[in-house]
Amino acid sequence: MNDWPLYAQQRWAGKRVQRLEDPGMLTGATSYVTDVQLPRMLELAFVRSPVPHARITSLDVDGARSVPGVRGVLGPAELANVHPTMDFVELEGALKTPRIALPGDRVRYVGEPVAAVVADDRYAAEDGADAVVLSFEPIDDREPIHEGIPDGRYFRQVAARGDVDAAFARAACVVRRRLAIQRVVTSPLEACGIIADYDPADGELTCYLSTQMPHLARAAIAEALALPVSHVRVLCPAMGGAFGGKEVMLPEYLCAAVAAIRLRRPVRWVEDRSEALTAGAHGKEADAELEAAFDDDGSLRAMRSRFVSDTGAYSSGIGAYVEFMVAAYSVPGLYRLDAYALDTGGVVSHKAPLSPFRGIGMTTSQTLREVLFDDAARALGIDRIELRRRNLVDDGPWRTVLDEQYEPGSWRTAFERALELIDYAGFLDRQAAARANGRLLGIGISPFVEAAGLGSAGGAGGLPGTSHDNATVSIDLSGAITVALPTFSHGQGHRTTAAQLVADMFAVTPKEVRVLDGDTARTPFGMGTFGSRSGVFIAGTVSQAGRIVRDKLLRAAEVLLEAAPEDLELVDGTVGVRGAPTRRIPLAALAGAAHFAPHVRAELGDPTLTASAFFDPPRPTHSNGTIAAVVEVDPGTGGVTIERIVVVEDCGTMVNPMIVEGQIRGGVAHGVGLALLERYVYDENGQPQTTTLAEYLLPRSTDLPAIEIDHVETPSENGTAGVKGMAEGPASATPAAVVCAVLDAIAPHGDLIEELPLRPETIAAALSEG
Amino acid sequence: MTAISIEVNGTVHELDVPPRLLLTDILRDRLGLTGTKIGCAMGACGACTVLLNGAPVRACLMFAVQASGRSVRTVEDLAADDGELHPLQRALREHHGLQCGYCTPGMLMAIAPLLESGQPLEPDAVREAIAGNLCRCTGYETIIDAVVEASRP
Repeated sequence: MNDWPLYAQQRWAGKRVQRLEDPGMLTGATSYVTDVQLPRMLELAFVRSPVPHARITSLDVDGARSVPGVRGVLGPAELANVHPTMDFVELEGALKTPRIALPGDRVRYVGEPVAAVVADDRYAAEDGADAVVLSFEPIDDREPIHEGIPDGRYFRQVAARGDVDAAFARAACVVRRRLAIQRVVTSPLEACGIIADYDPADGELTCYLSTQMPHLARAAIAEALALPVSHVRVLCPAMGGAFGGKEVMLPEYLCAAVAAIRLRRPVRWVEDRSEALTAGAHGKEADAELEAAFDDDGSLRAMRSRFVSDTGAYSSGIGAYVEFMVAAYSVPGLYRLDAYALDTGGVVSHKAPLSPFRGIGMTTSQTLREVLFDDAARALGIDRIELRRRNLVDDGPWRTVLDEQYEPGSWRTAFERALELIDYAGFLDRQAAARANGRLLGIGISPFVEAAGLGSAGGAGGLPGTSHDNATVSIDLSGAITVALPTFSHGQGHRTTAAQLVADMFAVTPKEVRVLDGDTARTPFGMGTFGSRSGVFIAGTVSQAGRIVRDKLLRAAEVLLEAAPEDLELVDGTVGVRGAPTRRIPLAALAGAAHFAPHVRAELGDPTLTASAFFDPPRPTHSNGTIAAVVEVDPGTGGVTIERIVVVEDCGTMVNPMIVEGQIRGGVAHGVGLALLERYVYDENGQPQTTTLAEYLLPRSTDLPAIEIDHVETPSENGTAGVKGMAEGPASATPAAVVCAVLDAIAPHGDLIEELPLRPETIAAALSEG
Repeated sequence: MTAISIEVNGTVHELDVPPRLLLTDILRDRLGLTGTKIGCAMGACGACTVLLNGAPVRACLMFAVQASGRSVRTVEDLAADDGELHPLQRALREHHGLQCGYCTPGMLMAIAPLLESGQPLEPDAVREAIAGNLCRCTGYETIIDAVVEASRP
């Protein structure tokens, strides 16, 4: 679909345009939810469960009510009419356990909210929370978490394509690897937050909410509170990161909304870091196992996978399904494979409920598959790169064993380019020389494909997909252009990207295009921002809407200039007649005529210079790339230093290469965190052990190397203007590159590695055991 | 309540504050200077970094009363009154050294005193200098590039 309507000369799309978002952020002028101040606003703090499993015997809030500054206390009774948090997942056989806003009878994880205290400020609210007396009886470990799920296993899917057993029976070489992918925490610098404000005069509930999906959050809040969707407005001035952690509806939000409605005052809850780490947006976690059958020439014949995710205390909502489903369905990756069997599912536990997190599921399958390929190479006595070359899909389209249709990509080209950039051949010599001196160097290569732009035609990872996305383009009386998007950027610079595209349609500069997002009252319906979809949907929707408005503008110009349509051109904010520099009309004059000049209005039929348009890609888009990493392992301490990371990325046509590279770098940083640092720990009693950023290690500047980036551009067939969408791929493929590099450095001791992250003590133990 | 006198971005404020009020909260809630962000409230992330008598401090680890009699400089004071960005702000923009923008004010205030020394900075020195400021979006490299460039005459 290379149908970008380049009515004007292409001047902005494809360029490294500086972001429109930046000046506000750099000067402190940009507001995030936590910066919004409303008159008479109150603050909310939660009383949370200190234990992983207990029956609540009493909840005494009287003490809290008498704390100075406290204006109200909500317990289960006040939330009794609120529906459980909305659940969009429909999977046959899933045993769902809905999340009640404040459960009342029992608690199932440390940090589960049991009461909410509202006060003049956060200090008083926390004083109030401290004065609530929660009495409980611990529940025996042997009692199920939920009665309907006696063994904790709430979902399992088993499926096979091709004759897997026969392929394994005939195989010359079978390799198997089990890896525990750790639980991590999404950890945007801005945690979650809401300000709820109820207007009793017309019954509208306004929620300032840090969310990736304003329109779905609106629907979810309305549903939970039994309000018409039209009576809820969700808006968010700016979002300080999200990474998947702001896709879900939290019980905390519903408590704030109920408090605002009951108290008739704005109520703010801002998740603090301790809350975010204890009971916030955790992600990943899978017990993952993969087996592969190869011929003796290294041809991959079959794979079997098994994934079990411990998704925490409730089995409802997207976070409880997406990790293990995407993991299982993304196993084939970029390798030719005719037979594949999967066995995947989830169990509930006394941990915080899982949320989606960048690279969801894909990280697990990618890491395990690439480690297994290295294992197979060693077992077969074939070079690791050669083994991949023998099995990689050729550049172009590909239909996987799971019938996923990849659009054409540069699978092999990106792979070879990455090898060239990292100097694979030269590295092997360097590695051998270093080994002779007792130094442990290693290299890892991770070719990846990423399904992005998921619309109705394809859900991720065997999950049913649906979507509905629009954009609105308008020209006002002054000739100024406004674009309204239902997506919501949390760092990806959507406003800049959309402005670049629209600027080219109307021959203006990006600065002249105002882009609105993050407000259900000012934007048309859409699913929001997740899964690398926004680039595809922004390009698709704004091109459709912009075309309608542009056509009207040109018709107005035809009337005013008395010119034939084929002679008109858009130049520098005007419409003019080709070859006649004096016959030009500025957009403002055209807009004025469309509004007020009767003969122009009559010609236009509907004279409004605004259009909303719908877009749904016919099939998912597919970005790809390869990540290569070189590491050095300290043989004494087991510490890992990353020497180089090379990324070759192909996300189709790049609207703003600077932003694409920013997403690559950030994704790599997330991947390094997963591979080497981040680990959420519960002790054997279900108590969280990593509840501050001193214990939960996020990558710092000194943990990351410079990242070398190169691009291939294979335009999308399914996304407008060739845009494929990206941002999860580098995050999901980096751990494989780093882990393979470390295992290479410590080979053959890498066989002893059973879990991520690769902490120094884990590596040192493996080295000393060999 | 305790009476304090605190100079913020060149203006002296005489205020009565509860002794336990944090410097972050007086800046953000009382003075409306919400550019200073709160990321962890325990000194681990650096998002709340401001200058106290010219030196970077974590505003989340200080009580407002501790800043009494001293001068505080926040991100709002970096750009010129006419809106022209500080060279460091400009460099961050040019190098795409920010994405969500939430760590950016703290990052800027951690780096500003280094730049004001007038010495050209090497990448490794900058990498060390910002090791106390977490950014979850950029991978840091573009921030380092920006600071190095801004430090060169």
